[in-house]
This record gives sequence, structure tokens and C-alpha cells, in this order.
Amino acid sequence: MVSAKLLKDLQEMGVELQEVPYEKKGYCFDGQLEKDKLLQAVEAFDHYGYFIEDIVCVDYVENLELIYHFNHWEDPKRFSLRLRVNPEDPEVPSISPIYPGGGWHEREIHEFFGVSFKGHPNLSFLFLHPEIEYYPLRKIPVRIPEEKKKILQGKMPDLEEEAFWINMGPQHPSTHGVLRLFIKMRGEFVEEIEPVLGYMHRMQEKMAEMKSYMQYYPNTARLDYVGPLAFSMCYCGAMERLCEIEVPERAEMIRLITLELNRIASHLLWLGTYLLDLGAATPYFFAFQDREAILDILEGLTGSRLTYCYYRIGGLCEDLNDSFLKKVEEFIHRMKKNLKIYDDLVTGNAIFVARTKGIGLIDKEVARRFGLTGPNLRASGVAYDVRVSEPYAGYKFLRPKIALLEGGFCYERYLVRIKEIENSLNLLEEALKRLPDGPFRTEKKIKKPPVGDVYFATESPRGQVGIYIVSDGSEKPYRLKWRSPSFCNFISFTEIGKGMLIADAVATLGSLDLVVPEMDR
Amino acid sequence: MEVYGPRIKIGLLEEFLNLARANSLWPMTFGLACCAIEMMATTAARFDLARFGAEVFRPSPRQCDFMIVSGTITKKIAPVLKTLYDQMASPKWVLAYGNCAISGGPFVFEGQYNVIEGVDKVIPVDVYVPGCPPRPEALIEGLLKLQEKLTGVRRFPIPERRW
Repeated sequence: MVSAKLLKDLQEMGVELQEVPYEKKGYCFDGQLEKDKLLQAVEAFDHYGYFIEDIVCVDYVENLELIYHFNHWEDPKRFSLRLRVNPEDPEVPSISPIYPGGGWHEREIHEFFGVSFKGHPNLSFLFLHPEIEYYPLRKIPVRIPEEKKKILQGKMPDLEEEAFWINMGPQHPSTHGVLRLFIKMRGEFVEEIEPVLGYMHRMQEKMAEMKSYMQYYPNTARLDYVGPLAFSMCYCGAMERLCEIEVPERAEMIRLITLELNRIASHLLWLGTYLLDLGAATPYFFAFQDREAILDILEGLTGSRLTYCYYRIGGLCEDLNDSFLKKVEEFIHRMKKNLKIYDDLVTGNAIFVARTKGIGLIDKEVARRFGLTGPNLRASGVAYDVRVSEPYAGYKFLRPKIALLEGGFCYERYLVRIKEIENSLNLLEEALKRLPDGPFRTEKKIKKPPVGDVYFATESPRGQVGIYIVSDGSEKPYRLKWRSPSFCNFISFTEIGKGMLIADAVATLGSLDLVVPEMDR
Repeated sequence: MEVYGPRIKIGLLEEFLNLARANSLWPMTFGLACCAIEMMATTAARFDLARFGAEVFRPSPRQCDFMIVSGTITKKIAPVLKTLYDQMASPKWVLAYGNCAISGGPFVFEGQYNVIEGVDKVIPVDVYVPGCPPRPEALIEGLLKLQEKLTGVRRFPIPERRW
């Protein structure tokens, strides 16, 4: 096992990790780290092929704690490395030379907590606006020094080189929302990409600290509005793990059914808009019509079309109504027939194939260093799916089939999503057959969660959603951190986009399936 | 902010022009957040905004006269929004779609540092459509309301007799 070897190596380095119960914490190994041993330890993780999940910073007033989460594709066991820093002058060595993806999480921490990372190539602000005065997530207000407030506003043309900068977004039809990219071009080729995020930064993490657990809950659906149930599930699951609540089997199965329906709806929306980016208008109408059928089913159950607030901590808001199961069956039948239409319309289309086949390669190594997850990763031939590696909800009883393709080009990313729709339909059929009777929520009532921290991961249509909650025993979360899959997928674009034609860059960006408010949080 | 009305009135011709404007609004492709998905759903096959003469979404503000503000206005996007509005061809109209565009919606709380509470603090708004997100029918209703504002007659379900 990789984790055993790694543990031995870390022990030799003098880094002690304790095994903690996964069912209670959501991670398997936990340990304190000294500042000077950080790079050495991270190199060991890199050596054994671990990928970076995220870096969390928690302000405990007397010190700042950085938590590095690592996980492995083949041996999925989450490691959390803790590093304490002095809040007066926080400085930590940067891990960006080893994990470039980690560099982007560091930038986020630099921006929200004021931790500076030694050796980071570009510590400028990514999310915040220029008028901000205080570090937003510090518990005691700390003023941002003017010299640290570096915000990319524009790029001057480079007169010495023959390259030039073009600006793409924030209002651009193919950035799917308000994403801004500065692209350095040499002729038709992309040389460098520098993104500006934060146009839709809605302070989700700050809001969580200001509101009570249940008051914050409806906003989880507004992070990723295309697949909101995965985020709701993540939040509820984390709270259930923290409060040690057992959820009845019926509720878990209904969660599975709704999650899978939501996944299909999300993939259909991606299909429509991606092909619209590539210049095909017809599939958009087909995809939206099928998506409407799912929205109708979910609306009948949850009461809203887009931003569902259906799950509750410990179960569901309401039980299924009578017509739900019949409608889902009808939908499965309809969708299986319609999949053939998509196949005829898109898969073999000469223009589509020319725009996507052999374009936008993501190889495994890049994916690992940036922490890519979801269908984008599975199109590169890595069978990593949170539904299988850390089963939650109904996936504990029903194992989904992983759609897997080798290649890692835009075309494979399309095929993987189509295959996932198919697999989801099969899973739905099976789940309907196995839906048990019983209560749909627990009777256990909890006023305040216990003191502690917890990690929970779910598989959204875009990849691994992670949540890290620190509770201090009060009715509000002390710290809540989202690992948003779009952010981790997007940052890899700055690497894979290099050397591409500009038209291909648009095709690649679309194939990553980004949702901007989820990236900005 | 000062908003200037038309200086010259041309009577019947103006009414005719307004009728033409109301029935061929050119919205801008400017999706901000969740509501943008409902905006897209409105243009798709089921709700079909084309029935009301407003389906040609243009990515360039210079070809548009109708802005649907569909999402939260953060402090970073506000100057961009203002620029886009200024670039649009006059006469132009704005529809604030969803609670965020009306008042900041669920993202207003004590100690918030990034959201502008309502798009009407940045640009003038003609029609407000509440909801989080509003249903596509609500957008169609908002559009009908705007057309009514332009022509003085409600076009659907039954046109009122004017003369």
C-alpha cells in the first residue's frame, strides 16, 4: 500500500502522523508539522503520486493554522498536514514548485488571511476588489498593506517581444459567466494565460461564519447552481458526520435518485452550451428540452427549479410523492431513446470532431499536480470517483459504474459525460427497484454541534466537492471552507492552454465545464 | 445619476417607433449567476422567448438595446456593468432579474464586503422581476411589462383597445 510506505518515509523525516477514525473526521491521517519540514514532506507526497485536494487556513486568533489535504487515486486515504504560523508575521514556504495547483490555493490564502508564501512566483490578488481594506476572513480585523494589494487591472503591450496581450471577458459568451483571462499571444498561439477571478465572489465562506448552520444551508445551492444538490449533500453529510447522525436508508436512496437526476441535468446543460460555443445551435434546444423534463420532476419534489433546498441534516425535507417514481421511470425511458439522437447529431459530426479530437490534452501528471477531478480526470484514464472511493448517501448500497476513457482530449471529455449520463440512467433504474420503505428522516434533534472539525467530499457533476468545517460548539460555524471542483479544474487550464491556438483554447475552456460562481465562491 | 428623456417628440411617428422597438428588443448575452441559467432556459425550446420578439441575444453591447441583469452585482463587476450599459445603443432598457439584482438578495448580511445591494445603484432600471431565481414565465411577464411600458398597450393575453 502506498500510504504505508509514505507513512514510513514521513516517520523517518520526523513527521509524526496519527491515524484518526475516518467515520468521525473524514480524513485518515492527521499530523502537526514544522515549517522547515514542510517542503520535504510535500516532496514525499509527490514522490508517491498523491494529488493535492486543497489548502485550508483557519484563524485561531493566537495562531493561524494551514491544513494541507492530500489524497491518492488508487489508495484513497485523505492526509491532513497541519502547520501553525504566527499571526503577526505569517510566512510559509510555498509548495508551488512541487504542486503548481497548490500555488493557487496559496494565492487564495494570501488574499483572505494575509499569509505570505516564500518562493511563490505571483502573489497578486485574485478575487478581491481594489477598495477592500481588511483581510476578510481574519477574526480580528487586520489592515491590508497597500504594497500587498496587487490587483491585475490590465496588461500593457510588450514592445520588446513580438507577443501581445489580449483580454477575454468578463463579458464574453464562451467564458460561461464572468471570467476574465489575459492571454499572451504570439501570432495565433497562446503563450501565457493569466486569469482574473472574483467577478462573482459572493463571500460564501464569510457568510457561513456570520449565520447559523441552518440559516446558511440554503445558500449552498447557490454555489453551483447547475448541480446544486451535490453541494447541499456535501454540507448535510458533513454536519451528519460531525453530529454523528444516522440517516435512514430510504432517505439515502432518495438522495441518490435526486443526485443522479441532477447530474444528468447538469451534463445536458454542459452539452448544450459547449456545442453552442463550438457553433452548433441545434443540440442546445434538444438538451434543454430533456433538461426541462428533469427540472419538472425535481420541482414536483422540492418546489424549486434550480436552487433546491431539499435535504435536511439527518434526512429530507419531505417524502416522495406518488407521481415521482412514475415520472422518473418515464424520464429514464425517454432519455434512453434520446441519447441516440445526441449520438446521431453530435458524436460523428465532422465539424465537432475536427474541433475537439486531439485538442486540449490533459495528461495524468498535470491533472495530479493541479488536483483535477471529475469527468475531466476520468477522460484522462484515471478511475477516481468520490462516489466509489468514499461512498456517501445511497452509493453505500449501490455502486455506480465509472465511465472511463483514455486519451484526455476534449473529445474524450465529451464522450465521458455522455457515458456518465448512460450510467446514471442505469443506476437510477436500479435504485428505483431497491427503494426501501421506512422513515425519511431521523428523530434525533440536535441544537448545537459538538466541538471539532470534519471533512466531507461528494462527487458533483464537475468533480470532487469538499467541505471542511471547524465547529467551536456554538450555533455558527467557526470556519467553513469549500473545495470547489471548478476552481481546481480551471487552474489547470493555465498550464494546458499554453502553446494552443486561440480557437482551441476556447474549445478547451468549454470542455472543462466551469461554473464561475462556484469558482469564486 | 441623471437620466435624460427624449428632447424631441414626434407624435404618431414616435408611437410607431415605440411599437417597433417593443416588438424587436435585442437583449445582451450577459449571464452573471444562477438567474442566467433561467434566462437561457427562457430562450430555449420550451419557453421560447422568440414568440415575444426578443430572442436575438447579441454578445456585443453595441448591437443591443435591452440588458437583462441576471445575477449578483459584486463591487468588481459593477464598473464593467456600467461600461457595458454606456456602450449600448440608445434608447435602452434594463430589466433587473432576480433578488440579487434588485436588492442583493440572500448575499446581504452584516459585515458583507463585496456585494452591491441592487443594480439600480449603478444603472437605471425599468422592470424588476423578483424571485430566487425567478421562473422563466416571470421573465416573459417582465418582458411583456416592458413592452407595455413602451407602447402603453399590453400585448398579451388580449390587447386592450386603445382607440
